[in-house]
Amino acid sequence: MIKVKKGIGLLTVTALIAAMVGCGSSNDGNSSPSASSGSGSSPSASNSSPAAPEKQKKITIFQSKVEIAESLEALTKKYTEETGNEVEVWGSAGDAYGTQLQAKLTANQGPNIFSVGTGSEAEKLKSYLYDLSNEPYVSNIAPNVALKLDGKVVGVPYGVEGFGLVYNKKLVDPKNVTDLASFTATLEKLKADGKNGLSLSQEAYFLIGHIINMPFALQPDPKVFIEKLNKGEVKLADTKEFQEFAKFMDAIKANSGNPMEVKYDSQMGDFATGKTAMVHQGNWSYGMLKDYGDLGFDVGMMPFPLAGNTKLSIGVASNWVINGKSDADEIKASSAFLNWLLTSDAGKNAIVNEFKFIPAMTNIEADSLDPLSKDVFEATKSGQTVSWAFNDFPPGIIVNDLAPATQEFFLKKDMTGQQFLQKLDAVWAKATK
Amino acid sequence: MKRSSKLIFEILLAAIALAFLSPVYIMVVNSFKNRAELYENALALPSSLSFQYYSKAMDKMNYLTAFGNSLFVTIVSVAIVVILASMTGWMLVRTDNKLSKIIFLTLVSTMLIPFQTLMMPLMQVMDWIRSNLHIPMLNTHGGLIYMNIGFHASMAVFLYHGFIKSVPIALEEAATLDGCTKFGVFWRIVFPMLTTITITIAILDVIAMWNDYLLPSLTLSDKGLRTIPLSTFYFFGEFTIVWNLAMAGLTLTIIPVVIFYFFAQKYIIKGIAAGAVK
Amino acid sequence: MSKKKDKAWFVLFTVPLLFVFTTVVIIPFIIGIVYSFVSWDGIPANPKVFVGFDNYVKLIHDDRFLASSWHTIKFTVLSLIAVNLFGLLLSLLVTSKLRVSNTARTLFFMPNLIGGLILGYIWQFIFTDAFKLIGQKTGLENIFFNWLLDPQFALYAMVIVFTWQMAGYTMIIYIAGLQGIPDDMIEAAKVDGANMWHRLTKIIFPLLMPSFTICLFLTLSGAFKMFDVNLSLTKGGPNNATEMFAMNIFNEIFGYGHYGLGQAKAIVFFLIVAILTLTQVAITKRKEVQM
Repeated sequence: MIKVKKGIGLLTVTALIAAMVGCGSSNDGNSSPSASSGSGSSPSASNSSPAAPEKQKKITIFQSKVEIAESLEALTKKYTEETGNEVEVWGSAGDAYGTQLQAKLTANQGPNIFSVGTGSEAEKLKSYLYDLSNEPYVSNIAPNVALKLDGKVVGVPYGVEGFGLVYNKKLVDPKNVTDLASFTATLEKLKADGKNGLSLSQEAYFLIGHIINMPFALQPDPKVFIEKLNKGEVKLADTKEFQEFAKFMDAIKANSGNPMEVKYDSQMGDFATGKTAMVHQGNWSYGMLKDYGDLGFDVGMMPFPLAGNTKLSIGVASNWVINGKSDADEIKASSAFLNWLLTSDAGKNAIVNEFKFIPAMTNIEADSLDPLSKDVFEATKSGQTVSWAFNDFPPGIIVNDLAPATQEFFLKKDMTGQQFLQKLDAVWAKATK
Repeated sequence: MKRSSKLIFEILLAAIALAFLSPVYIMVVNSFKNRAELYENALALPSSLSFQYYSKAMDKMNYLTAFGNSLFVTIVSVAIVVILASMTGWMLVRTDNKLSKIIFLTLVSTMLIPFQTLMMPLMQVMDWIRSNLHIPMLNTHGGLIYMNIGFHASMAVFLYHGFIKSVPIALEEAATLDGCTKFGVFWRIVFPMLTTITITIAILDVIAMWNDYLLPSLTLSDKGLRTIPLSTFYFFGEFTIVWNLAMAGLTLTIIPVVIFYFFAQKYIIKGIAAGAVK
Repeated sequence: MSKKKDKAWFVLFTVPLLFVFTTVVIIPFIIGIVYSFVSWDGIPANPKVFVGFDNYVKLIHDDRFLASSWHTIKFTVLSLIAVNLFGLLLSLLVTSKLRVSNTARTLFFMPNLIGGLILGYIWQFIFTDAFKLIGQKTGLENIFFNWLLDPQFALYAMVIVFTWQMAGYTMIIYIAGLQGIPDDMIEAAKVDGANMWHRLTKIIFPLLMPSFTICLFLTLSGAFKMFDVNLSLTKGGPNNATEMFAMNIFNEIFGYGHYGLGQAKAIVFFLIVAILTLTQVAITKRKEVQM
């Protein structure tokens, strides 16, 4: 009796595992009708379409930017009021988005619309990205910022973002920060005045991820350079722009506070209270400055003057994409929502005034931008921009490899910029082997 | 105990308690500050004691709905874990053979598996159940309860297993002779004697399930289903955290558990006092 | 007849729990083992390639994994001692009939409830700002400096936070054990003139053995799997000096997208830890006293 039971149990278990592992990849091809949220698959939605031609199936959105979660929920409510179509917005905290998205896709409960980062993240999720090339709103995307894979447009940018040296206009004159010599002199002078010249902070992107973008972006073709670097054909330590970058890092290390002691919160706090003259940050940091009320000084963003550079680093962090594994009705409904978001007055207004994005669409006016976003927007219009080369870095490398190496650089008193480059070369090689 | 030594103990206890509490202090005072004030001095008392961040946090979290969801999931999960684990634990102790040993060791050793390595396969299993057996395991409270039971089963069995030995076997034998079935013996004789450990397990599981973020975040998607920890996500941005709301939200999350514990621990003491009289 | 009946009862009592447990833990774990032989980035629609023992060979040469295992072992040993000493001490203090016992019991329990990113923030504040302040005020700058910037002390900082969290947890279990010791036994010993140390070592500790087994094991498994504190307090830094095992796996799976390699690491580590801890459980179980 027991033996039989055990046998049945064992069989079930084996069958389950076999089904799970074996069907994993083939599943996606033939089970697409069930590849979406399960509960919403009631036939009523599709049957009712002849009666009310505009009526679409309920869709779900999952996106990474917590800061806009509330406004997005409010906006979808408005959408439902206007069109009668329902949208459910899911939420995820902080940096948990990627993991949760992966879990939901694994469970065949993927959202209909979701967000992906530009570059390697989009590449990884390629097989889920629905081809948007023929959708009407795609033609409004500003030049060069659409998310393209294999020649097809697969994503619409949230907006553009830019970073550089955010500075206190009372303490720093951009004319004095134009190359290594003037940059160093400015830091030294501020130090003598009892101010911290330039502050980085301990978070991986704010410590190294963003600032190291400049030497990469200044390569003739950053993408090719990164590929060569991955194969070990070039070395950072032998490349001119990086050698200069190392000198900048030396100057920062010698003349300003240790970034390892600073968190993003305290970095912006020190800046807002005038203790720090410059921070290497992006236009998003204005949201933080706003919380300090009247600062008593004006802020602006200027280029990081590596090799006399005069351009801001501008790119797209996240893109709206449609899950191609949803069923046809859901894809239709998703595209209808994106169209409404990007072309209706309510949607356009929300993007600029609620989400606080710098629009990447030619049909959206940017009228009420904060000072930092304004600088970014101006640079975009005048073409004074370099790309976000770090989007093409191997996945995870900034957090897992470059940041630890940079920590070592700032914590070891006798480590020089050149040694730092060699260290970066070493960890890069290890991460890509 | 002598009076003086008792006093020393009391002081020692109070000192440790204070040291233990300093992080709680930081959490509470900063739930009353704005960003500038927090930056100025995180240790200082707030300049005003206004509960605006609490009401704002409650509003954003949709606190009452989330509270109801958390309460439902936690109570049902803990109740089932206690019932099933006590039965299993008792059987494994009282049945002295190889199979029980293997089951026990399997249960115990799985407690060493990091959850992070189980979560993706778990999603696949749940999807398999959904699409083949048509039981909605994901995005439902029932599914979450089911997984809660599975993940907390081994610790509960482990704890019961350790404490069941202190139940005199003679009582059980007597009851069997009186014609009780195993079921009767367990529920009438054994389970009442396990009150202390049952409450201990309930406390530990309530904490774990009430505060759990990861598992619910993987299984619950819809807004209306969110538990309390899930609904605090609004305050945790990509790079920064809205500290005052996050701290207020956390305080609101833990208050119910502290109240629960305060009453439950009194019950432990009482239960023991009653047991000791016998 | 009665044997058959016993078996039926056994099934009735254990199968409901075991069924749930199997579907939620065992089957996913076995699937995980299968994936450890596969090269895959974890995205369901992307190709899985069977690679045999490649992942296992790779992990032997992964210095960072080996280093993280070593950190984990150090961390676990230190935590094991600290958590259980504190937990036991607290439980003894709060069960002795002191005026503040009831309140203290609730207070000690509270650290358990503060988790996640907030916990990291609060302690970062203590170790960076508060420690520096104390160092400047007292002149003890060799002890009170920013612990999180020193590879050695950052690990100790994690032990402190973990102890702070777990001591209250084990306290609850030790209290349950202490309450199970009949008062008359201790009273009798008192009458016989046993001093406090004797009462502890001769009566209380031997009877507390089941609690020891449980607490040691729970601390051990908690410390080995520890992820939250690691992520929110140090993120593995400085310079990877505090990257623990669970974090290394997490990064491998979700950071680099090496699903199979991450699973292989998890399985190797699981086997080693399981052998060690089951031995420990077996040893302490033998010392337990049957009543």
